[in-house]
Amino acid sequence: MSYSKKDEDGDQAIFKVDRTTVFQEARIFNTSPISPRKCRIQLTKIIYLLHTGERFPTAEATTLFFGITKLFQHRDPSLRQMVYLVIKELASTAEDVIMVTSSIMKDTAVGSDVVYRPNAIRALCRIIDATNVQAIERLIKTAIVDKTPSVSSAALVSSYHLLPIAKDVVRRWANETQEAVIANKTGGGFLGLGSSSASIGPPSGYMTQYHAIGLLYQMRSHDRMSLVKMVQQYGSQNASSIRSPAAVMMLVRLAGKIAVEDSNLRKPMAQLLEGWLRHKSEMVNFEAAKVICELPDVTDAEIAPAVHVLQLFLTSPRAVTKFAAIRILHHIASFKPNTLQHCNMDIETLISNSNRSIATFAITTLLKTGNEASVDRLMKQISGFMADITDEFKITIVEAIRTLCLKFPSKQAGMLAFLSGILRDEGGYEFKRSVVESMFDLIKFVPESKEEALAHLCEFIEDCEFTKLAVRVLHLLGQEGPKTSQPTKYIRYIYNRVVLENAVVRAAAVTALAKFGVGQKDEDVKKSVVVLLTRCLDDPDDEVRDRAALNLKLVKGEAEYGWKFIQNDSIFSLPVFEHQLVMYVTGDQSTFAKPFDISTIPVVTRAEADAEDKSKKLRPASDLPTLKAPTITAPGARPSATPSSEAAVNAAAASQQYAIALSAVPEIKALGQLLKSSRVVELTEAEMEYVVTAVKHVFKDYIVLQFDVKNTLPESVLENVTVQCTPNPPEDAEEEESPLVEEFYVPAPKITVDNPGTIYVAFKTPEEADGYSIATFNNVLKFMTKEIDPATGEAEEAGYEDEYEVEDLELTGGDYVVPAFCGSWQVVWEQLGTGTELTEVYGLPKETVKGIEDAVNLIVSTLSMQPLEGTDVPLFTSTHVLKLFGKSISGGKVIAMVRMAYSTANGVTVQLTVRSEEADVGKLVANALS
Amino acid sequence: MAGFFRRIYDWLLSLFWATEMDITMIGLQNAGKTSLLRVLSGGEFTTDSIPTVGFNMKRVQKGHVTLKCWDLGGQPRFRAMWERYCRGANAIVFIVDSADIAALPIAREELHTLLLKPILEGIPLLVLGNKSDLPDKLGVDDLIDELDLREIKHREVSCYSISAKEETNLEAVLQWLISKAKK
Ligand SMILES: Nc1nc2c(ncn2[C@@H]2O[C@H](COP(=O)(O)OP(=O)(O)O)[C@@H](O)[C@H]2O)c(=O)[nH]1
Ligand SMILES: [Mg+2]
Repeated sequence: MSYSKKDEDGDQAIFKVDRTTVFQEARIFNTSPISPRKCRIQLTKIIYLLHTGERFPTAEATTLFFGITKLFQHRDPSLRQMVYLVIKELASTAEDVIMVTSSIMKDTAVGSDVVYRPNAIRALCRIIDATNVQAIERLIKTAIVDKTPSVSSAALVSSYHLLPIAKDVVRRWANETQEAVIANKTGGGFLGLGSSSASIGPPSGYMTQYHAIGLLYQMRSHDRMSLVKMVQQYGSQNASSIRSPAAVMMLVRLAGKIAVEDSNLRKPMAQLLEGWLRHKSEMVNFEAAKVICELPDVTDAEIAPAVHVLQLFLTSPRAVTKFAAIRILHHIASFKPNTLQHCNMDIETLISNSNRSIATFAITTLLKTGNEASVDRLMKQISGFMADITDEFKITIVEAIRTLCLKFPSKQAGMLAFLSGILRDEGGYEFKRSVVESMFDLIKFVPESKEEALAHLCEFIEDCEFTKLAVRVLHLLGQEGPKTSQPTKYIRYIYNRVVLENAVVRAAAVTALAKFGVGQKDEDVKKSVVVLLTRCLDDPDDEVRDRAALNLKLVKGEAEYGWKFIQNDSIFSLPVFEHQLVMYVTGDQSTFAKPFDISTIPVVTRAEADAEDKSKKLRPASDLPTLKAPTITAPGARPSATPSSEAAVNAAAASQQYAIALSAVPEIKALGQLLKSSRVVELTEAEMEYVVTAVKHVFKDYIVLQFDVKNTLPESVLENVTVQCTPNPPEDAEEEESPLVEEFYVPAPKITVDNPGTIYVAFKTPEEADGYSIATFNNVLKFMTKEIDPATGEAEEAGYEDEYEVEDLELTGGDYVVPAFCGSWQVVWEQLGTGTELTEVYGLPKETVKGIEDAVNLIVSTLSMQPLEGTDVPLFTSTHVLKLFGKSISGGKVIAMVRMAYSTANGVTVQLTVRSEEADVGKLVANALS
Repeated sequence: MAGFFRRIYDWLLSLFWATEMDITMIGLQNAGKTSLLRVLSGGEFTTDSIPTVGFNMKRVQKGHVTLKCWDLGGQPRFRAMWERYCRGANAIVFIVDSADIAALPIAREELHTLLLKPILEGIPLLVLGNKSDLPDKLGVDDLIDELDLREIKHREVSCYSISAKEETNLEAVLQWLISKAKK
């Protein structure tokens, strides 16, 4: 700390530089003979300015640039090196930089001094333009395979920068690049980092490999298969030619990316990742573990080896290793607590570690994995050192406790005591906010804690330096206070704020106060509220007076009217609202002709919104984005899978999008309102000639099947593509033929590699079946295929008819159900009663369902219902109860309880109990798993 | 030991006598500027010279004089930059391919446009008709006419016929250049 301080002061002393003087002084470049020392100092000043954010205007930069070219070919190698460094920096602002091309090229040639050759190469690539890249091709190729690592690295990194401007030329350098990967040059990169410290420190050699792999990746980013080959070729354990840990890290990330993007490649990539967990460099091990955690829907089996390796690191003598390990484990604990069972002992020993960061993560990890019994002990442990850790870690702890409160409501007393304790501690806004919000959650979701939590908050606002928090607490007091047994208690606290605080807080207090008076049955209370509000009419602030006046009207006026206003019980569904607004503002000019129509946004009750909120909060898996590697972008990336807790939110947003796409087709628009769209179902393996996926759309009297077809054969074009869709009734049905009748279809006129197509097939549902038909569709793609003439790129005249059979598509009960939230699962369960109850027992196929976790995912997606009360995260591996809720497309409630048991012999057995408002929906759901 | 004193002596000598000159070489592409400079600086003549992108700088040592020769690219996109490198030069060398008669009118245009720039006033000009080894080349007198050299005022102008390939007349070129060093 003190060192860097000194350096900063030093900088100031050496360089009293400003742009104008530097520009003036740069005239010395034109003096003859050249003084290398003076010129170097001058160049250093320019670099200094550029690196501290100063920008030379174009004219000045150009003058400087040409001044500097006068220094070319000087005998002093250090001056030459400096010249290139500055040229590289000025290249983007100065004009006509292309002028120095020939001169620089001389210094990049074989045989020129290694001191400045790499710098020359790097500068060359900054000044060259796309048309001239070809001219330096030979030179760069030679440099890439040069035996001096700094030269090779410079050429590789430069090629990386040239790639975007001259893709085709640079791609021709693949062979040289590959040679550079396996050349195994020791020695540092351009910095020559010679540190031979522990394996975890900065990579000490073989930097060229890292650069070469990075370049290869960019060259091939358009071609997944060759990326896969690259990862497999360099990543396999026996090909240990890759010595640079940084290069291996790159492969690790790439493997992870491939596994995410292509489910068919997940297995081989997962195997590689597992191998890297045993790599001799710790940083590779950690990266592999992180990448495994980030795999979508990672299974217990996949994550187990990572957990094992991390566990070993927990006992490492190095604090930084321990920290890295526990940090990742902490992350795992938030979505797979059950997999950490074996580590608990080792984590336990860390909770008293003298390094507070390690101890914090250890404790919060245990809080997530542990059972109810250990909570008290852990809380005591934390209280011991809360004062010693930074706000950031305090927040981590508070977040862990907040989740815990919701998971183990019976522990609320202890946790509330803890929260109120730390609320009195010193701390910044973010920390205080997280504590206050945790208490809000307790109040909202754990009714037993309400009165006491409110009392603590009242005390908190007595001495609260953060206006924002005071306002939020006052709002909550207004909302919850009147419902408590002794509302008057709160009135005093609130009125104190009116007397003592700034205008913003006073205004909030007035509004809160009014809520005790509106609709108040107790005339005494009402009277005192009126008295207090009346006093506020003399407040010096406009807003406060206005609010007081308005609220006095409400309190004195008609009770029911005021009550309704104050309650404000229903809100717009925010995800839908947001989506609609985005569509509105990003639409073309014509959408603005009509004002935004808010009536199309569904309204949800506060109870529903709260329930959704709670279920999100029970799943804090996404609050640690810092663990993710920076993304290396490549085209064709698919958004990763979303956790099931957001099912309802996503379903709403997705169906909005489908609705827009479908209404663009006139025939389909005529079918009326879209009620439900299914998930995307894959009907082919991803590696086939044609990749087909389907979506089922349900309308009131129609089913529309949407087939999306991708053509992977670049040499052919498909024309007039249709799908012959034959519905078959379920096996146990009485009829031989499905009652679904094809109504019309919309073909895709032309499908090429770059241009996928969509085909729609619409069926009318029979009137007597209440719209709930189930069926299995047999699907055959029919089309005219034509060869593309490679010479012209045009399709040939003549083609031939062809067909292509894809997998069957099931229309099941789940397709008629939309995931939904409800205030309390238990309440609805009891409301619907046993009258409509149906129970079925199933054994899930052992090959695909490998545990409770898989079963949960499968059931949630098949039934298309919302998991509630955090039951989408199983805590034990042998048994679990999943609670689901949803609504049928006509709005009837469906609720389900799924008990599951797992044994190695029988796999997962489930007992599915369904209650519903509509009997036939219940039946469909109950049978949906067969 | 003797070598050491010798070096000291050379160094002292260079302090008092060494002169560095800036010479700018311009002309249309393919006139032979780069080839000439290579030969002047002691290199081999080659026929596979690649066009110069931007400029190229070489030192030519002649006695105690160092000639810093700036050989500029001749393609149209670089001609605008000639002026920048002619500023403050001790002499401008304008090279033409004396066997490429078709290119002479453009060469004349470019030369006269450049010399009109006030900032370049007074800088001596040496015009070289290169490739004198080729059969259909023009002689010095024809070149003077074709390039309108008599029109040029306010500066010293000379015109020689040379061949970079056969190293004809190069000594005269060097002598002329050195004579322009500011005493
Ligand atoms: N016959 C002959 N060819 C020459 C002579 N000087 C240059 N060349 C050729 O002319 C071409 C262009 O030369 P170059 O030096 O690149 O011209 P620049 O564009 O003016 O730099 C090359 O093929 C040279 O070999 C010369 O004196 N005689
Ligand atoms: Mg040239």
